[in-house]
Amino acid sequence: MAASLVEIGIALAAVALAGLAANRVGLSVIPAYIVAGILVGPEWPTEVLGVSLQLVAYGEFIAVAAELGIVFLLFFLGLEFSVGQLLADRKRITKAGSVDFLLNFGAGVALGVLFGRTPLETLLIAGVVYISSSAVVTKSIIDRGWVANPEAEPILGTLVFEDIVIAVYLALVAALLTGAGDLAGAAMDVARAFAFLGAVAVVAWYGTDYVERAFDLPNDELFLLHVLGATTLVAGAALATGVSEAVAAFFVGTAFSQTPHTERIEDVVAPVRDLFAAVFFFAIGLTTDVTVLAGVAALLAVAVVLTTGTKLVSGTIGGRVYDLSPTRSLRTGIGLVPRAEFSLVIATLAAGAGGTLADVVPAFTVGYVLAMSVLGTVMIQHADRLTDSLAPLVADVTGE
Amino acid sequence: MRRVVIRGLKLAGAGGTAGGTSSLNNGRYEPRNVTIYETEVPGVGHKFELEIDGDERLVVIIHHDGKRDVYRRPDPDADSEQLFSLTGKQARQLGSILEGAYFQPVELDEVEVPLGEAIIEWTEVGADAPVVGQSIADCDIRSRTGVSVMAIQRGEETIPNPGPDATIETGDVLVTLGSREEHSALSDLVED
Repeated sequence: MAASLVEIGIALAAVALAGLAANRVGLSVIPAYIVAGILVGPEWPTEVLGVSLQLVAYGEFIAVAAELGIVFLLFFLGLEFSVGQLLADRKRITKAGSVDFLLNFGAGVALGVLFGRTPLETLLIAGVVYISSSAVVTKSIIDRGWVANPEAEPILGTLVFEDIVIAVYLALVAALLTGAGDLAGAAMDVARAFAFLGAVAVVAWYGTDYVERAFDLPNDELFLLHVLGATTLVAGAALATGVSEAVAAFFVGTAFSQTPHTERIEDVVAPVRDLFAAVFFFAIGLTTDVTVLAGVAALLAVAVVLTTGTKLVSGTIGGRVYDLSPTRSLRTGIGLVPRAEFSLVIATLAAGAGGTLADVVPAFTVGYVLAMSVLGTVMIQHADRLTDSLAPLVADVTGE
Repeated sequence: MRRVVIRGLKLAGAGGTAGGTSSLNNGRYEPRNVTIYETEVPGVGHKFELEIDGDERLVVIIHHDGKRDVYRRPDPDADSEQLFSLTGKQARQLGSILEGAYFQPVELDEVEVPLGEAIIEWTEVGADAPVVGQSIADCDIRSRTGVSVMAIQRGEETIPNPGPDATIETGDVLVTLGSREEHSALSDLVED
């Protein structure tokens, strides 16, 4: 017991220090947590100056805590998913979101085909490069003050669109990965997954009143335990029936999003999400063998350059959909460049699948997220130089 | 995005409740729509944009943890500049100040002067003034100028409500009640 406690202590301390360091240099904490996991984990580097760096193993506790990290990341995505906002602004959100999906998911498919990957690997790579990081994007546009500017609208609108796509996508991919090899079996699994999720979604939509009353609890402690219990139980039941636990958690979140409990959840449950999410990113680092990255270096390099470009273009078009100036449209593109947590959630699915899929996709994703979360943040910080040089070009192309 | 239009009164300073309205500037009660735009910012909280004058907007971000960031955007093409950031408690205090609940200013024109036309003034007695050495009764200040002497300040000492036999000396400060004209007559009498 003492050894396990020390190990978890080392893990949490490493995460805390990494987060502090990232904060100091103004970068996202997510890549820092991953690097912390790589450093103290079982893979390279294993020692420094004769001192062992294999301090934390990927044990069951960390694995389950990381799983809870996924569940609560998606739970909050569902909680903060605003149906009202989507409906009120559906035309522009659909336009900007579709362009974003076509260009970036399309770029992922092109990469898979270009590098001779299997259809399933290609599908996963496309998902990884498509979805922007809500966490990194939101934090960056607040730090930069863009949140108070008109460009916040297409940025947040596109994120809302991505939320829906990712819910459907995860449900689909999870079913495909766990499913039987043949097409009929896969179709059955997908059908079953959507039936389960459909049931959760219906309860979420029509059960708002019930949820509101059931969680009207007198103190925060009881409230926290109820929310954690309900969410984890539904997610666990989903996983047990071969359905994406992440998407189930997403729908549990949406069930709460229509109730007055949202503020209290943000207050009381968010710290729990932060803890488990940090462990999730750290665990990704633990399981990452950096030396495998060499095998996907070419794919990685091309993906970073290509999908930075496609996000810039799709975001700029999204900004134009909102009638923004060239500079603000470019900022929309720059703002959406960071990829992080949801790409890693997708990679975790692949890691659980086994085979070559479990080697290539997670390694690629870790390298990709490390690059894109840092590159995206830095691009947002130095956006003025980019927009100054690119704005005339955008004005030319769009004929302003 | 939700757009809330508050049909109400133009908010031109507080004090609308103070006394009669006749002397307040025209247009204060002109109806005007204050448009507030509300947007959810997922994971952060809510964003409110208030139209101020013309294209200028105030942007308030209310975080889930209660923190408020206030930005100002001078015109649609400009970037929003952050003006300040407040905790929930500070924001409520500022809010009540802005609302006028914390301190209700009284327009100066509206101050009801309890003394009618009269004001209180302080006048120093010059060395060569003809009244030096005389008592208040002797120099007959009341009938010569119209003011009433309420007190005499002599150095550190104050003689309140001086009687008719109180004498006036060089350097005394007379605290007197009267109209402006009466006070200018007093000044002619006691200053050099």
